[in-house]
Amino acid sequence: MTEKITINPVTRISGFLEIEAEIANNLVVNAQTKGMMFRGFEKMLLGRNPFDAVYFTQRICGICSTAHSMASTLALENAMNFVPTEQGRYLRDIIHGCEFLQNHLRHFYQYTIPDFVKLPEEYPLFKVDHMDYRLPKKLNDKIAKDYFDSLDFSRRAHQMLAILGGKAPHNHGIFIGGITSQATIDKIISLKSILSEIQTFINEIMIPDVYEIANYYSEYYQIGKGYGNLLSYGCFYNYKDLGTLYVNPLVYANNTISVFNPDDITQDNEYAFFDYKNDPDIQKQHAYSWVKAPRYNNVPFEVGPLARQWLSGEYRHGISVMDRTIARVLEAGKIASVLKILIDNLIPGVSVQKEYVVPEKSSGRGLVDTTRGALGHWVYIDDGKISFYQIITPSAWNLSTQTGNMKGTAEQAIIGAPVSNISSPVEIGRIIRSFDPCVSCATHVYTGGELINSIQVV
Amino acid sequence: MDTPDLQCPYQESRLKTTSSLVNQAKSNITNGILKKRNLVWLELNGCSGNIISLLNGQDPDFQYLITQMTNFIYSNSLIAAEGTAAIDQLFSVIGSDYILAVEGAVSLKDNGAYNIIGRNNGKLVTGLEAVKKLGTSASYVIAVGACATHGGVSAARPNPTHCVGIQSVLQRKVIKLPGCPCHPDWFMGTLAYTLLYGESPLDNRDRPLMFYSTTIHERCPRRSYFDRGIFASKLGEETCMFKIGCRGPVTPIDCPVRQWNGHVNWPIGDDSPCIGCAQFGFPDAMEPFISYDTTREG
Repeated sequence: MTEKITINPVTRISGFLEIEAEIANNLVVNAQTKGMMFRGFEKMLLGRNPFDAVYFTQRICGICSTAHSMASTLALENAMNFVPTEQGRYLRDIIHGCEFLQNHLRHFYQYTIPDFVKLPEEYPLFKVDHMDYRLPKKLNDKIAKDYFDSLDFSRRAHQMLAILGGKAPHNHGIFIGGITSQATIDKIISLKSILSEIQTFINEIMIPDVYEIANYYSEYYQIGKGYGNLLSYGCFYNYKDLGTLYVNPLVYANNTISVFNPDDITQDNEYAFFDYKNDPDIQKQHAYSWVKAPRYNNVPFEVGPLARQWLSGEYRHGISVMDRTIARVLEAGKIASVLKILIDNLIPGVSVQKEYVVPEKSSGRGLVDTTRGALGHWVYIDDGKISFYQIITPSAWNLSTQTGNMKGTAEQAIIGAPVSNISSPVEIGRIIRSFDPCVSCATHVYTGGELINSIQVV
Repeated sequence: MDTPDLQCPYQESRLKTTSSLVNQAKSNITNGILKKRNLVWLELNGCSGNIISLLNGQDPDFQYLITQMTNFIYSNSLIAAEGTAAIDQLFSVIGSDYILAVEGAVSLKDNGAYNIIGRNNGKLVTGLEAVKKLGTSASYVIAVGACATHGGVSAARPNPTHCVGIQSVLQRKVIKLPGCPCHPDWFMGTLAYTLLYGESPLDNRDRPLMFYSTTIHERCPRRSYFDRGIFASKLGEETCMFKIGCRGPVTPIDCPVRQWNGHVNWPIGDDSPCIGCAQFGFPDAMEPFISYDTTREG
């Protein structure tokens, strides 16, 4: 007998998500991931001053706003045919790296840990709704303490970000050319000092914690694989003097790694709430989500820390819930070491700002891998104003809807998973959280009814 | 780092408003003078950046908030439970004494269908329905961040999902903390005041005077450049950014003295203009954020 279950809200993510799953003989036989919110940034951006996109698009997401300042800046620089200096790149990549640290610390401790570790139940926020807690009390209580201790380090990661970026969330620093301000000696030494504390926490507390959890939940190495297609637009790569510090633009499918080609991205809306003109349509038949369906060579791909760790050769243990979670934690350590190199290469007192001019007519694309995976912004400028804007976020890849009979990435990862107790299907939440979904980011609309593969990108 | 001159004892005491209020509230709770009150954090149509900003809070921090100051009942981003158990916990506060904090805007289009926050007894719950239900019976309602206070970026033109601030759907006093995001001190200080003394003194648009009474321009460390007519023509300069679009003159908030993220920096300290995120009308009324053109006229 097949039973249908619905989880809504899927909590401990950014934004609103529902999961519907059909279960037969304690196995998931069908699943839908449904983005439950929509705002329409691409429509709002029309007619605005192109420079404003850098600050405006950050408001797509409160936990990963820096990512959008990166992608919008890259798209504008592309449209302006402007190449930033290496110092400019280091400075903004440092800001971006701080956002990685903040995200990974909070995703691991505040969003993931409560799935596996019992937090003090006298506080209503931590009341449990399942019984599958396996850690011995002493270890459980140690990691529960780390949950609280981590708050200081994620806060400090945002503090580092603000030293160069003015404030966080929603920084003011990242802009065309690099950052608005300059690195000064006092800022550089502050960054180094905070980074060293965060690095110690990651290496001595966070990495051991994830392996402890993996020991007690080892079947999660076999759960939630999905298609196993991995993609990255690259990040912290291709510096003139430093080369690639992390990962180049690559894809992995059918046991082969190949070079990523941006022209092979398409996006479909067959099962998303958009009509043939790509306007929102909540009445659309068969539609079930606000998230569309980005595809690469017409198939769904997984993006995020595991994809990057795999493609860069840092971690190739497997593709599963536990591997994704471990890869995220290991990536925090990797990013901390990348940050150290970038900070060591800063030259104090270099101004990277100029008086920029908006092109009358142009187009640009900004692709960058960010905390949750591959992020792309596409912009058209006409008459000095934004005439078209499109955003495809990492969570749009991971939470993508079905096309034809082909399920989205996370849907496929949920299908086939065991559910031991249908009234508290804790397995499903653990699978979806391993992707670190951000629904505030994932739900977007095209403007002008254009298809992405018809965009002539420069 | 650009640290403003803090010699003035008045300013010094203003800076410590939040921590002194919070410490008072805590000691009153510990001594049994005050009972811990329930706090519900409701996320609506927005970026959920205000709860992230709250996690950045320091003295008091988030741990202190949920263990010492309040019974923190619900946050979609942080609650351990999910699905039915979570939504039951959210609505369980109705009938009790609780403070409601809301971030995100209320989407009105198609009766709220563009922002679903969960299912209650199998039925979809819209943000609109949730804020009306919880907002009506709360002891206090605090709108946290620009989207909740007046629609913010979620309501930016052409406002595709008809977003409004929560006051538009609640027939009661709503304390408003505009900002994108809201500074953790603005929220913690307002909450602590509420726990201790009830509603804090507000201006005529319901913003707490302790944070929103003075414009950025009045206390800007670059004010002398403005007075002498020395203006930046691009980002990254250390002079007054009025001519590249700074909204400090129209934005009443204490950023120049409070600063952000452990007081290390703030937008003007980062050689970029204030974009007026803590003023009603943000973002549409504050654009363009950065404009090189005005300097050419000068």
